[in-house]
Amino acid sequence: MPELTLMVADPSGLHARPAARFVQAAARFESRIVIRYGDREADAKSLIALLGLTIRPSSEITLSAVGPDADAALSTLSAELSPYVGQVG
Amino acid sequence: MGLVLISHSGAVVEGLRDMVSQVAGDDVMVGIAGGTEDGRLGTSAPRIEAALRLALEASTDGVVVLFDLGSAALSLELALEDLEPSARDRVRISEAPLVEGAILAAVQASIGAGLDEVEATAASASTMTKIPRA
Repeated sequence: MPELTLMVADPSGLHARPAARFVQAAARFESRIVIRYGDREADAKSLIALLGLTIRPSSEITLSAVGPDADAALSTLSAELSPYVGQVG
Repeated sequence: MGLVLISHSGAVVEGLRDMVSQVAGDDVMVGIAGGTEDGRLGTSAPRIEAALRLALEASTDGVVVLFDLGSAALSLELALEDLEPSARDRVRISEAPLVEGAILAAVQASIGAGLDEVEATAASASTMTKIPRA
């Protein structure tokens, strides 16, 4: 299962507009995509789940995807987030 | 898929429509009805009816309606009575909080969800977490 850990760098965390763009981008993939923050996780295709994580600045999030287009999903979504994050590894 | 946002204040729904289009994009039809016909605070059945008709014309799937306070429900009811039954059948009235519900519903509509799903997403706004947890 492809996974990617990112550091949220934007000083206001992951706020509504980028979160909505992220959900819109995630919805184009068939794979199940999960965003993990601390001990909680959210379906990347659900805005309420994503906003409910209340992701703070300077914290790590991990994206993972399961499905036929998992690799493409992760590369698209990390590009989508690139203005707001730095890659950890 | 369209939304109709109703408030006692025109400024509230104008601002909310701006927020919705910034967050969800411009593909979702958002109709608004705020204030009375003479520009005071309140709601107006004819204004609501006009917003519903416009939104229904643009969105063949149907329309989810969100409003701010219970006293708008009476004007909304009057507006619905004047619609043809076939149009009324495509209107879903949401109990969701106006701002949160509108944003969530619009994003859901923007990813191609149908009326049932958009309505359910709006409803989920009432239990939305807003204060960051440690």
